[in-house]
Amino acid sequence: MAYSQLPNYLRANRKRLALSQDEVAFLLGTKNGAKVSRYEHFVRVPSLETALAYEAIFKRSASELFGGLYQKVELEVAERAKILAERTKRQKTIRPPVHKHQALTDIAGSQSNKTLNP
Amino acid sequence: MKKQIPPKHARTLAIAPSTRGFGFAVLEEHNTLVDWGVKSVTGDKNSRSIAKMEELIAHYEPAVLVLQDTSTKHSRRAPRIRALSRQILAMAVRCKVSAALFSAEQVRQAFFADGKGTKHALAEILANRFPDELGSRLPPKRRPWMSEDYRMDIFDAVALALVFRLKNVKETARVEAFLEN
Repeated sequence: MAYSQLPNYLRANRKRLALSQDEVAFLLGTKNGAKVSRYEHFVRVPSLETALAYEAIFKRSASELFGGLYQKVELEVAERAKILAERTKRQKTIRPPVHKHQALTDIAGSQSNKTLNP
Repeated sequence: MKKQIPPKHARTLAIAPSTRGFGFAVLEEHNTLVDWGVKSVTGDKNSRSIAKMEELIAHYEPAVLVLQDTSTKHSRRAPRIRALSRQILAMAVRCKVSAALFSAEQVRQAFFADGKGTKHALAEILANRFPDELGSRLPPKRRPWMSEDYRMDIFDAVALALVFRLKNVKETARVEAFLEN
């Protein structure tokens, strides 16, 4: 069994600061802790604004706070980068800049040894 | 039950049953505490504890479940806790999670050079190891007339999880033998 991160680590970070769900909800600007509970139970994915608010509260990057989600998105981007790199290579009429091809290869290659569903 | 040792960084769920319910701790790579706490149950304590443990397993999908070995000769756990331990192991098999058992002696030997120390001393070691997470949960030293603080269950669970991490031994094979008894 391969190791995969949890979708998010909001609960651990909240508990580390000894904050209640209602207190975090207040900091996020929502009515009560119900939404916070849903985020922590992986039922609901927060909006970008909320994710950035979490980053500001816990002083950790969003990719760290949403480790599992980031892992998933990163792999999906790598897959698409691979396809785009192939597609760019096949377009012989327009010669792509070297750094563009290199960037796409890097995005695709950095995730080549990881799997989406461990 | 799987006999293979799970990967080094897999999630570990440790459970420490007590009279009120159970303490739990979830550890991840680099011995990071992902979750910790106490779950209280009333009424049919064993079946309600099992239900809450199943929720934890579904949420955290641990590779290993660690709990105290209550089948040893020197164990002084109550018959209800012994029965609960057997039920937890049966649940682990059902949920396809490997299980590891450690006796209270093994835990003490892992944390104290001479294998001797109180639960409070162990709790202090853990509070120093995880100051942000457990520092505020450390109960005051128990006096002879006091009951054990409910927060001690958290430290029991964290200790079990850490012992598993430290040893990473092939304890899973013993689980089947425990269930047969």
